[in-house]
Amino acid sequence: MKKTDKKKFDCKDIEKNVQAYLDDRLSEKEILKIEEHLSYCLPCDKKVEFEKRLKKLIKLKAAEKSYPKKLELELKKIIRGHQH
Amino acid sequence: MPSARQLEFESLVAPHLSSLYSTALRMTHNQDDAEDLVQDTLFKAFRAFDQYQKNTNFRAWAFRILVNTYITAYRKAIRQPQKVSYDDLEEFYLYKKLDETISLHETAKEDFLENFFEDDVKDALENLPYQFRLVVLLCDVEGFSYNEIANIIDAPLGTVMSRLYRGRKLLQRYLWSYAKKRGYLLNEKN
Repeated sequence: MKKTDKKKFDCKDIEKNVQAYLDDRLSEKEILKIEEHLSYCLPCDKKVEFEKRLKKLIKLKAAEKSYPKKLELELKKIIRGHQH
Repeated sequence: MPSARQLEFESLVAPHLSSLYSTALRMTHNQDDAEDLVQDTLFKAFRAFDQYQKNTNFRAWAFRILVNTYITAYRKAIRQPQKVSYDDLEEFYLYKKLDETISLHETAKEDFLENFFEDDVKDALENLPYQFRLVVLLCDVEGFSYNEIANIIDAPLGTVMSRLYRGRKLLQRYLWSYAKKRGYLLNEKN
């Protein structure tokens, strides 16, 4: 293991990596470092939990629950060549 | 009688009408334009269906056509420079603001999030400059991966990441200003 690999993540590293962490874009090694930090740093843990909730909230509230049924009709017209 | 090819297209695209419309609505800001955008997308997708490779990601393929159709139709409008300052965009903006401004327990911070109306979240998203809005929608609402988004918007992975991260930070700033405007912060510190 390289010397730098032994370095623990500090709060700044959490800020720098939180979005990639929440999107599951980090390597296993990086995830372990982050989770180790979160296990003893309560302020970071709270912030990361908050971000997780926010991300879920955006998905839940920003997606349309329905769409105009007219579109289904348009789709049928298009594939049958009655459109344009 | 519709041909097998017509039926195949219909069965592939039908499950995604809702998410195509949802994204179109957030991009165009109104229902009529969103319907037109989806309709044009369906028409173009059907015409290009021969180029779609079987068993590849149809959803991403359809979204790529939606994005291209949007950019072509709204080229003039989106060419206007959008003045946004990115210098002081920081991580955990909303959380830090809540911490500074109100004396709340953690559970109250979570309630604060739940209190946002759907319209506030949608408005905040719709206020993002379109490049940022697009990647935030594709990732956080539609659940596409970074690689899929890079393919959909035809941009390098680094561009996707920087737009996504900035877009989310900007979104938190907008949500914060909605919260203040709507009076969600009843327990403000003196």
